[in-house]
Amino acid sequence: MNEVVEKKQETKTRSIQPACTISEDEGEVRVRVEMPGVDKEGIEVSIEKNELVIRGKNEPVSVEGTYLIKERQTGDYYKRFIIDETIDRDKIRAVMNDGVLELTLFIKETAKPRKIDIK
Amino acid sequence: MNLMLRNRPTELDPVEELDRLQRELSRWFDFGFDNMGLLDRTLAPAVDLVESNDSYTLTVDLPGVDKKDINLTVENNVITIEGEKKETKEMKEKKRYFRKETWEGSFRRTISLPVAADADKVKAELKNGVLTVSIGKKEELKPRQIAVQVQ
Repeated sequence: MNEVVEKKQETKTRSIQPACTISEDEGEVRVRVEMPGVDKEGIEVSIEKNELVIRGKNEPVSVEGTYLIKERQTGDYYKRFIIDETIDRDKIRAVMNDGVLELTLFIKETAKPRKIDIK
Repeated sequence: MNLMLRNRPTELDPVEELDRLQRELSRWFDFGFDNMGLLDRTLAPAVDLVESNDSYTLTVDLPGVDKKDINLTVENNVITIEGEKKETKEMKEKKRYFRKETWEGSFRRTISLPVAADADKVKAELKNGVLTVSIGKKEELKPRQIAVQVQ
């Protein structure tokens, strides 16, 4: 885990930690965050210095009636990662689809391993 | 799979308290993943079932599942949600995972509905990864108020 290291949430808020899958593939780091119930407008992705912060605002549920089963967690989503300097800050792509946020982070050209030809 | 239905008024909100306890416990049994604890639900979708005066509402978290991959059936007052959460194409090509908390594969949930549920009045909608199924109640089993005239 070189590029993305998660920083544990310190504050005692009631926000949900969404499920994340992080993988690397040829100079790209893909972060997949599952936030059911959040639409495109409710997503906020920001980078401050070396922190990548993902916030997902869920519509407040107003339930009329009584719960017979309650298993789902409701609330806002929050996830924070520490990213190192090999990640290109200016080239982040985010796609939101069916409650899943897909972030693509690119590794800086200078940080990629180089093969040196021997003449 | 629910064999028992919790059917209590939620003044104290014991469910929320249990949720909190579960989160605390999961933190102790930290398996290296923040939200993969001892009691966490990672392989079957979580559901909510709410009863109101004239309908039941079933809410299921299905992030990343396509509409055409969900199969919803009602039989003898038992509702079954099954389907497949497919791996995205890019994910198949992946070589290295740093962290994997999401799952893919087939899922199935079976929930017995109360007697008053009417299998002919079922509507389902998938939005932002949340499936909402509303099930009407049978007219004859709806709670009624009968005005009694006192003479």
